[in-house]
Amino acid sequence: MKKKTLFLFLLIGLMAFLVVGCGGTEAPAPAPPAGSGDGDAPKAPGFDGEIKLGFMVPVTGSEAPYGKDMENAAKLALEEINNNGGVLGKKLVMSTADDACDPQVASAAATKLISENVVAVVGGYCSGATLPTLKLYSDADIPFVIAAANSTQLIDANDGKAFMINGTGLHQGQKAVELFNKLDAKKIALVHQGDGYSEDLAKITGQLWKDAGNEVVGTEVVTKGEQNYSSVVTRIKSKNPDFVYWTAYYADGGLFIKQLRQGGYTGEIVVGDGSNDPKLLELAGKAASEGVFVTTNPLVEYMPVAKEFMDNYKAKYKQDPGPYSALAYDGIYLVADAIERAGGIDSKALIKALDDTADYKGLSGIISFNEDKTLVQSNFVLLKAEGGKWVLLD
Amino acid sequence: MSLQEIILQQLINGILIGSFYSLVALGYTMVYGIIKLLNFAHGDIYMVGAFVGFVVLGLVSGILGAGWAGIIISMLASMLIVGLLGVGIQRVAYRPLLKAPRLSILITAVGVSLVLYNFVMVLTNGEFMAFNTDLSFAGIDLGSVRVTYTQMILVIATASLMLGLHWFINKTMYGRAMRAIAIDQDACRLMGINVNKTIALTFFVGSALAAAAGVMAGVYYGSINFFMGFVIGLKAFTAAVIGGIGSIPGAMVGGLILGLLEAIGTQLPMVGSEWKDVFAFVILILLLVFKPTGILGKSEIERM
Repeated sequence: MKKKTLFLFLLIGLMAFLVVGCGGTEAPAPAPPAGSGDGDAPKAPGFDGEIKLGFMVPVTGSEAPYGKDMENAAKLALEEINNNGGVLGKKLVMSTADDACDPQVASAAATKLISENVVAVVGGYCSGATLPTLKLYSDADIPFVIAAANSTQLIDANDGKAFMINGTGLHQGQKAVELFNKLDAKKIALVHQGDGYSEDLAKITGQLWKDAGNEVVGTEVVTKGEQNYSSVVTRIKSKNPDFVYWTAYYADGGLFIKQLRQGGYTGEIVVGDGSNDPKLLELAGKAASEGVFVTTNPLVEYMPVAKEFMDNYKAKYKQDPGPYSALAYDGIYLVADAIERAGGIDSKALIKALDDTADYKGLSGIISFNEDKTLVQSNFVLLKAEGGKWVLLD
Repeated sequence: MSLQEIILQQLINGILIGSFYSLVALGYTMVYGIIKLLNFAHGDIYMVGAFVGFVVLGLVSGILGAGWAGIIISMLASMLIVGLLGVGIQRVAYRPLLKAPRLSILITAVGVSLVLYNFVMVLTNGEFMAFNTDLSFAGIDLGSVRVTYTQMILVIATASLMLGLHWFINKTMYGRAMRAIAIDQDACRLMGINVNKTIALTFFVGSALAAAAGVMAGVYYGSINFFMGFVIGLKAFTAAVIGGIGSIPGAMVGGLILGLLEAIGTQLPMVGSEWKDVFAFVILILLLVFKPTGILGKSEIERM
């Protein structure tokens, strides 16, 4: 008998190892920074010299597709600017450095751009890789427009020369609260999966909602990969909230929404940007997903102002722009605009000009900066599911 | 919702989730009963069952629609195909090791689990599949307690599968052979019972039940993925241990008890729904420490 008990314990230990083993992720192999084309814009005559920008994104490794989308968008912006006469009569060119989404490679990439004497740097996709470069650029007095990376760690590490043009978790929370207010919600419930990303968003939103004097009736945590949400549904139903905010990812979100509706929940549902995938609607089924809202970073396919960009991008690269290219495009335009306003490329003047940016209208939203160099106005947008598709609200 | 309503709602939810656990636990317990193997590939068999049902439903929904007719056909097809898969796995991976030390066959079971898991992952590209059916959310509302017709039909279906199994084990010759082999394989061989064939049959029945549970889960949740078998595999194992591993009524009871404990436990005011799995596995540990034979298990005396 004893022997059997011990045996079972061993088994449980074995299974535990398996659980742990599932968490392994592939670390992108560090690759040498690959400098690529210095802007392949057509050589228009009449330019008096060049202004060189740096562009830092991952173009190798697991995140390379996003980095390449962003690089394409940046090149498109350069081409447009140069076709319209450049900046202060000078041609704008760009040098790309690969950060491979890896802090060490990113540091090498930053060093490369600094040695090339770039006027400003645009880019930054992975927060972890972007973080160590902030100090390098800052020491070299190079302004850095952070296009996509949006971890709050970047805010703390920023000593005033970097500018974040993508919204952070705080901005997303604000957008969610805006939605709650718009629909006169009184009580909300938050559901997350206990991972850093979804828990942060739930906490930020809950705090904002409480600070505004409202009530959060429940914060539920569900296990990733769980299929049965009936217990959570009962808990939520018993508290009768007006809104449920799901801050985790789409695959589990689809299941959750379906069971929430199946269980007879009739209030509103909103999901966070981890769930902005159309697959969410498919998994939840049409009946359950109709009318679900999502707070998401500005995806060009839903933004009417980005129609022209979308068409140009597709015509030039024969593919969709991807989720972050509008931000890269905005970053290049913002720097060009700031150089014009500064009247030159002196770094102090340029940093001041970026800081003074007032209501610059980009594709991704309206850009002006707070004291901590984050966006004043959230660039998150609201989409609503209608007929099995996401459509832009307001 | 009043407290009574919450409790009633959770009893209903607990019975449904518990009946899924029971169906999967039956496969564990039958295989353990007959060859003393903890078949850790069983959760993945459940997952493969869901995928086979998904494919068959995709094929037949053109003719029968994705309503109950299509679902029943795809469930039966999945039970048959996955039952045969279970027999195949038994033939290739387990039978050659029946006389080997028990640890070898156990490691093989883990290997089979990984093969199935990764095979489906590669095949589906790691994507979640939407298991779309025409079933509505309609149901009965008692106050704010809600039971959908789908839930009722699924519980009835699992109950009838279990009754069928009970009859098969206790009233047929094959069932008698299974029970006999569980007691003494060598004696059975001497009595002219085809042991290998009966073991294969056990795998067929166990795998078919898991496949049925997989299809039902797909229908109910509306989404399937390659790792859906992992957690339920562990839970069903827990259920089998609660009931007494090796005991068929034990697996049925154990699944229901686990489902109900989870459902009720998550509603306690001090704890949240995130404690659901903690309940399940704390029960497993307590039981292993204090009553390793489970509720309905027989205590065996091992003579060395």
